[in-house]
Amino acid sequence: MGNGKKLMKRLLRSVRQKSANADPQGQDPNPPTELSANLDENVRMIQSIYEDCSDVIFHDFFIGGQTRAVLVYIEGLTHIEEVDRHVLAPLQQHFALEPELPNIRKAIAVSSIKELKSTTDIVEQLSGGNPILFVEGEKQGLSVGLPMWEKRAIEEPSAESVLRGPREGFIESLRSNTALLRRKIKSPNLKIKAMNIGVYSGTKIAVAYIEGIAAPALVEEMMSRLRRIDIDGVLESVYIEELIEDNPTSPFPQLLSTERPDVASAYLLEGHVVVLVDGTPSVLVAPVTFISLLQSPEDYYERYVVGTAIRWLRYLFFGISLLGPSFYVAVITYHQEMIPTPLLLTMAKSREQVPFPALVEALLMESMFEALREAGARLPKQIGTAVSIVGALVIGQAAIAAGIVSAPMVMVVAITGIASFMAPRFTVGIAIRLLRFPMMLLAGFLGFLGLILGIIVILNHLLSLRSFGVPYMSPLAPFKSRDLRDVLARAPRWMLNTRPHLTGKWNPYRQAPGQRPGPAKGDEGG
Amino acid sequence: MVEKGRISAFQMGRMIYLAITPTAILTTPAITFKFAKQDMWISPIWAFCGLITLYAVFRLHAIYPGRNIVQACEAVIGRLPGKLLGALFLLYYLYLIGIILREYGEFVVGSFLFTTPLIVVSGSMVLVCAIAVRGGVEIVGRFAELLLPAFVTLFLFIIIPIIPDLRVPNMFPIMANGITPSLAGAFVLQTWFSELISASFLLPLVADQKKAKTSVLIALLMIVLTLVVANLATLMLLGDITGGYTYPFLILARYINLAEFFTHLEAIFMAIWVLGAFVKICVFFYVTVLGAAQWMNLSDYRPIVFPIGLLVTLSSMWVAPDLQKLTFSISTSVTFSAMTMFVIVPMLLLCLAWVQKRWRGTAAKG
Repeated sequence: MGNGKKLMKRLLRSVRQKSANADPQGQDPNPPTELSANLDENVRMIQSIYEDCSDVIFHDFFIGGQTRAVLVYIEGLTHIEEVDRHVLAPLQQHFALEPELPNIRKAIAVSSIKELKSTTDIVEQLSGGNPILFVEGEKQGLSVGLPMWEKRAIEEPSAESVLRGPREGFIESLRSNTALLRRKIKSPNLKIKAMNIGVYSGTKIAVAYIEGIAAPALVEEMMSRLRRIDIDGVLESVYIEELIEDNPTSPFPQLLSTERPDVASAYLLEGHVVVLVDGTPSVLVAPVTFISLLQSPEDYYERYVVGTAIRWLRYLFFGISLLGPSFYVAVITYHQEMIPTPLLLTMAKSREQVPFPALVEALLMESMFEALREAGARLPKQIGTAVSIVGALVIGQAAIAAGIVSAPMVMVVAITGIASFMAPRFTVGIAIRLLRFPMMLLAGFLGFLGLILGIIVILNHLLSLRSFGVPYMSPLAPFKSRDLRDVLARAPRWMLNTRPHLTGKWNPYRQAPGQRPGPAKGDEGG
Repeated sequence: MVEKGRISAFQMGRMIYLAITPTAILTTPAITFKFAKQDMWISPIWAFCGLITLYAVFRLHAIYPGRNIVQACEAVIGRLPGKLLGALFLLYYLYLIGIILREYGEFVVGSFLFTTPLIVVSGSMVLVCAIAVRGGVEIVGRFAELLLPAFVTLFLFIIIPIIPDLRVPNMFPIMANGITPSLAGAFVLQTWFSELISASFLLPLVADQKKAKTSVLIALLMIVLTLVVANLATLMLLGDITGGYTYPFLILARYINLAEFFTHLEAIFMAIWVLGAFVKICVFFYVTVLGAAQWMNLSDYRPIVFPIGLLVTLSSMWVAPDLQKLTFSISTSVTFSAMTMFVIVPMLLLCLAWVQKRWRGTAAKG
């Protein structure tokens, strides 16, 4: 039975793959061709590939005044001054040797030169920004490593700012990003495997991990999931994320995306795998657990007491952001006896002229808040402030004065809003904000019972979720007592001797035990 | 194998604890008080049925490793009688979940959502449980793992604030009429202790078998301890009026008054108690579904989760016409039938299995 099922699956997959290959979109647009010894033929071949591409420049010249050569490059992707100085100048002006490839290589003063035989390699190098040199009578093209394009300076990532800690952030260039990682982790055990994904975009993807810390099975799983991707283009790492998740229908992210090299390095040191995508500053980290999505790098940069306190504050407000309005609705609608009498009287007074039941009121205000947040985020900064002022005035003051909503409701919505911004990862915050709405409905229909049933359903989802084989709710369930010291508290660094257990074999010790510092012994008399 | 997931011994212990305690705390004090009066706190210590059941479960599992009691039936008494007994077992389980679900529903409707129809309360719970049961034993185990701390915290949260108001004289005279009253009070508790038979269905799924026995015995100990503490607190706070309430422990929650501000916290009590009841119903539901799938030789139990969920809901409607009859039957017929099915039958099976083993051993020798 099991065998039959497996066979069917394999068959289906192979059929699917075949149909994908037959699809013109899935096909390589330029089949590889070998170069010939004829310069004109080679140039024609490249020209036909880059037909109607006005940004591709073909520059004719003579090496040493006698041998014809053509330099091909893409304008804007190549460091043209360097090409003039180190390629054209020595070849055109001071070249006295036999015009053979080895001699030409000697003359060009550039550190990275490659000999290429097929058009596919040439196209890849050209689009990578490397100019290609074709020489009369040579069956090979020379790729000269002088790429240069406009890129942003390394700045502090605005979405993940910290008070203390490094201020640098990833940028859109893959090489700069891998360099940022390599600067933090200098060991040659930091492996960065590269691959290209995207038939048209040919986006460079790098998979970084530390050999000896990351479980080999995890790396293999990541590579195989990446290899399975067949897509026309990758413009942001979320393209990759959605194609390699364990449960693509879940509202919860199963990969963490960060713009901070220090966060990525911290995860690398704990045995996670980092996926860097060219063209975007956000890199992906896998696997992650739910708890790790609620942690901020700042927890580790503060003193541990403060880190622990902030962490608990965050857990508390995480609960509020999910349950705040629904708790209020349940109490107001079903469990009024829970409210102390003086408070109940005040609340009754403010609710007296409100025409809606608490549930409708809550839904109204919460959707209004979401709309305000979205409008504020999408607008230019100058108008954004206007939106928030209008929102605060109209929704806060005027709505209460007009008797449409009650003042406690506005307070609840405001507190919930602030609480939802406390989630250090935007993706988690938005998932929780969405789940708030069904929770409000449940609370409106069944009171606390509905609330609990909703929590059970969410928990059920979280408990069955996995991120690259790691249970999402670990170390809480399945329970791993050793890892709890980094969940219930942020233990002082000299106590965090072990790495969290992710999957399979792992390298448990991250530091020597017994490093608790103290005053020097024998100094007490002083 | 119908179930591919595995649980740890630790998870199993927590599942067993939560599969017994929540309804026991709620329903039994009133009934126990009727018989044992001021000795009601001694009653939970007479957990004979629990020990006997666990003994039968572990011995049977030692003789037939990897098989639960329904599967062992077939091996001991032959295919056809074994199937019949297995069916009886599963039907009884269905009846028992009906009772548990009804207890839960009556509690919620009777104390909090007065105008909500019973079927909505029990139906929504069955739906939620069905979703969890479809996730398999791993998910149910993780739920138990995650919710036990919440449950224990709630329990302590109710007990600790009322400590200043506890009147120790309420428990005197201890054993004024010998141990008979406390034994009589323990009678109703035997239903709950015999429910430990669920361990038989979970035991084959435990990954670290060596720790399983200790884990379950600790769970039993904790159950007894929890009930003793709960009964003691109820008795010392309420004294002679304990019997007058349907849910004496709920009165304890209502009694809490922190700084004149946090009062009437029984809704919170209900909320977290629902979490406990959820795990309890999940465990029984899971056992029924797993047993039924094995009994019918299905390759997967997931397709029958929702149909059995429907049966469970119906059974909860049919077990009793109202709460009074339900409580009455729990203190009389249910106890007898549970003891028959979960204590006597497993013991008989065990004896038969022993005799068979002996007989086969001598036959092999001769």
